[in-house]
Amino acid sequence: MTEPLLTAPLLSIDGLTASYGGATALHGISLSLRAGEAVALLGANGAGKSTLLKTILGLIPASAGRVQLDGDDITNLATERRVRRGLGYVPEGRRVFPGMSVRDNLEVASPLGRADRARDVERVFTLFPALAEKTADQAWRLSGGQQQMLAVGRALMGRPRLLLLDEPSLGLSPKLAGEVFTAVRAIAAEGTTVLVAEQSAARALSATSRAVLLRLGRIVHDGPADSLPQETLREAFLGG
Amino acid sequence: MITLQLLINGVALGAAYALVALGFVLVLNATSAVNFAQGDLVMAGGLLAVALAPHIPLPGIALLPLTILLMAALGLILALAAYLPLRNRPPVGVFISTIATGIILQNGATILFGPEPRAAPPLFSGGTVSVGGLTVAEQSLAIIAVAAILIAAQQWVFARTQLGRRLRATAQDPEMARACGVPVTAMILVTFALGTAYAGAAGLLLANRYFVTPTAGGDLILKAYIAVTIGGWGSVPGAVVGALLIALFEVGVSSVLSYPVALGALYATLLVILVARPQGLFGEAARRRA
Repeated sequence: MTEPLLTAPLLSIDGLTASYGGATALHGISLSLRAGEAVALLGANGAGKSTLLKTILGLIPASAGRVQLDGDDITNLATERRVRRGLGYVPEGRRVFPGMSVRDNLEVASPLGRADRARDVERVFTLFPALAEKTADQAWRLSGGQQQMLAVGRALMGRPRLLLLDEPSLGLSPKLAGEVFTAVRAIAAEGTTVLVAEQSAARALSATSRAVLLRLGRIVHDGPADSLPQETLREAFLGG
Repeated sequence: MITLQLLINGVALGAAYALVALGFVLVLNATSAVNFAQGDLVMAGGLLAVALAPHIPLPGIALLPLTILLMAALGLILALAAYLPLRNRPPVGVFISTIATGIILQNGATILFGPEPRAAPPLFSGGTVSVGGLTVAEQSLAIIAVAAILIAAQQWVFARTQLGRRLRATAQDPEMARACGVPVTAMILVTFALGTAYAGAAGLLLANRYFVTPTAGGDLILKAYIAVTIGGWGSVPGAVVGALLIALFEVGVSSVLSYPVALGALYATLLVILVARPQGLFGEAARRRA
């Protein structure tokens, strides 16, 4: 079972309903994340993982329900204000700013002054040394793996308390996906709360302590990552 | 010698066109909206300088900061009235609203100033300078210098400052910019203010040598559109180079033949460029890597 919430949750979602492309994609989702927790959000294609992350961030409006961050209701806040409150987002497909340099991609996501920005950029380069060699390159010139590192680094520039990652291994070779998840583990180990949506369950479970399974817009399981029943996982992905 | 004089005149005209095209392409990139009022905003800037001149009896260069400031404010009004209410509607809505804004500006200018051509004061004395036997209009050199400073300032802000990064991120992917904490609506307002300020500056620069009438905007938006198409749709350096090429072509061909022939030849050249290089001179067919 999930450990009881000893302190107030960092993220608290209550009865969240949202539509995507005209269809209801989330049906009254309720979920809480403690500070420092790393949680895998698993489910088949179309289960509602991306929609849930986008609704938490405000990119998709909630038609019902509430999202609270550290006790504050952020349901009606604009996306950029949620980000300033402590949300970080790594989108599916990376979506780096293609015509901007690696350094500019990082700096643009920082709300801080020049000196703190420079320090945070160096911190990202420490986490992803491959980016340090490409600092002046335009982002569209980077390989897929480097773009993914850049997307993660960019999200870290806002010093998020909660990092939302959407399919970070999508389209990457197993080796590169492994590197990205090594970074995710390091980020979580430093105390940032992580919610990672993945189709590759094994990879996501290796970096998290808790698994939430979505199926057709509903949570069908929520529990420790290391004791996720194989049968439940199979059902969530294959139906039945 | 005449060729060199024509070249300087062409570059001066092109520098002013470049400001028009630059403002046009900045708004285009930030909003994906074609601002058809850009030419009329140039006209409004020119007439604003004409209206300010009697109250500030100084060379035109002294009017420039105030013209830029007031036109930037007009840009904010334009964004609030003609763009933001329609931003989530089909793009044709913004086309129509900016065309309507242009018509309002034209008719407002006709009511306030009458239809006759007006001239703004020269940037400095309005005389000529001789350099090695070459006599050049001081206004031409001043236009080149002022436009170069304004274009360099835009480049510096966009390349070196956090505001510039936010403006570029907004232009490249507004949704992701929001997800990075960028206040996208504020950036769009800043872009409209900047684009309109540059149109106003161009108006002041052009309104001395080329005069300004309330209907002058139609020709200018066409030039800006062609400059951006030649340069590469959405390319900032392309817009500047495209504007310079148009002006050099116009001045060069019209000095040998006539202005109408120059315009006809310009459109023919545009067609050749579009057939040979549809993405424009600075455009790239594909930029995004998987």
